Amino acid sequence: MARNHWLRRFGIVLIVVWSLTPVYWAVNTSLQTDVQVASKPAHYLPPTPTLRNYRAVVSGGGDIPNAIRRSTVNIFIECGVATIITVALATLAAYAFARLRFRGSKILFFAVLATMAFPAYTTLIPLYKIMSTFGLVNTYTGIILVYVSGFLPLATWILHSYMSSLPLAIEEAGRVDGASRMQVLWHVVLPLAVPGIISTAIITFLFAWAQFLFPLVLSSDLSTQPLTVAIAALQGRHLVPFTLLSAAGVYAIAVPALIVVTLNRYIVSGLLSGSVK
Amino acid sequence: MLPYALVSPLALFIVALALVPAGYTIVASFYKVQALDPPTRFSGLDNFRRLFRDTAVRESIGNTLIYVVIGVTLSTVLGIAMAVTLQHRFRGRSVLIAVLILPWALPGVVEGIVWTGIWDSNTGLLNSALNSLHIINHYQVFLGQHRLLTIFAIELVQVWQITPLSALLVLAALQNIPGDLYESGNLDGASAWAAFRRITLPLARPGIAIAMVQAVIATLNVFDQPYILNGAAPTGASLTMQTYFISFQNLDFGEGYALSLIITIATLVVSLGVVKLVYRPVEF
Repeated sequence: MARNHWLRRFGIVLIVVWSLTPVYWAVNTSLQTDVQVASKPAHYLPPTPTLRNYRAVVSGGGDIPNAIRRSTVNIFIECGVATIITVALATLAAYAFARLRFRGSKILFFAVLATMAFPAYTTLIPLYKIMSTFGLVNTYTGIILVYVSGFLPLATWILHSYMSSLPLAIEEAGRVDGASRMQVLWHVVLPLAVPGIISTAIITFLFAWAQFLFPLVLSSDLSTQPLTVAIAALQGRHLVPFTLLSAAGVYAIAVPALIVVTLNRYIVSGLLSGSVK
Repeated sequence: MLPYALVSPLALFIVALALVPAGYTIVASFYKVQALDPPTRFSGLDNFRRLFRDTAVRESIGNTLIYVVIGVTLSTVLGIAMAVTLQHRFRGRSVLIAVLILPWALPGVVEGIVWTGIWDSNTGLLNSALNSLHIINHYQVFLGQHRLLTIFAIELVQVWQITPLSALLVLAALQNIPGDLYESGNLDGASAWAAFRRITLPLARPGIAIAMVQAVIATLNVFDQPYILNGAAPTGASLTMQTYFISFQNLDFGEGYALSLIITIATLVVSLGVVKLVYRPVEF
């Protein structure tokens, strides 16, 4: 057992150092001035921590803070709306697949799952073409439609696994009492499925927050560009100092990091539901 | 009628925005579709021929293979190590799981920026640390000079992103292993390594297979990390980057469709190969 303990300690250190070092380093860089960052060897702790990089990123009227603020609004709208629609549609479909018998259900469910095996970028160019045909390039609608279609299969799969694991007896009792299927879904199944729905919503939101190539193609200016695209554009401009870029990076990961810190139980259970069966 | 009402929105999205576009990619890859040189017309295998004659594309095929080999190997080995660490309960385990999944939750673009701070040739953490430890005398350039080193440095960033999910998938498989298997192993005097080889590894195969498939899909389609860390520089460009350049910079959509189709087929073939090779059903 003693050796096992030694190995586990090594594993724990591996996980902590591996996961946190890059994030720590970005925070450390973002709290320094350009002069401090240029020092060799580097400052492993910020000598005089300053928030001026963060102020330069988000406040004032310059080009950069304008882009960051606007793209922050965009990313919240796109991720929020896409998450709500995805979870709502996936919940309805997952209930039907898990509990109702109907012709074609197996084929449709298989088709939904099969799309998960395809790389998302298979449809990059045709989706761009479709959106440009309907005048939806550079609109929230275009990006949200693409997100919903992309995340629906996984959301349906997670919720299907979750609902299949719920006890049938309560639903049947509801049916015996004369409630309709919709009433059972609304008053019995939904309250029981809340943890699964939360998991699905968080995972969908995080996936949406991380998107880059699709919004890069589907949004040509700041009216719809999400934070990821705006930050990549900053990085492409050579005059933007790395301290400022690091502050923008830390700013962009604050929301997903906060979600992981507070809601990680839901993420883990969602990712694992149905994955190993 | 109720079931159809419940599934029809899903079906509409899947058909209109996944199946139809996927079918369109297949058909259009046999057409000349160039925004700068209309009209669109059937051109047989022309797009594919031009792709394979393009040296940038040929080089990116090699690059992508290296991304896949490095990424799948490292994420699987690290994922198994992390899963084994978390296999049995101990104090602080749930906090450690939160730490573990953090990189998975972050956007690839920002991860590229974060890791620039590690690889940078003037201010990077790695140069500074190696220098402080007297391993190197001069700061080194890690990105954009040597092909293999560049690809390794970029892929490590993606490994950082995909390893948490690998670890969780393996961990889920490990938690299905009954504890008494290990106890009978102990009675036989099996060493920790032998128990790992004979009990843990074989019984975790379903989880390892799924973990490797998700790594194959991610690495064969890598875009964000090389795009941010190395920009449009040809060293280490991936196939998905070529698809983007060909379609949205050269506006040669026909070739873009063809390359998308190649990547998709490669992803499916390699994923199936991994499943055949690694997956074994396990019953307790």
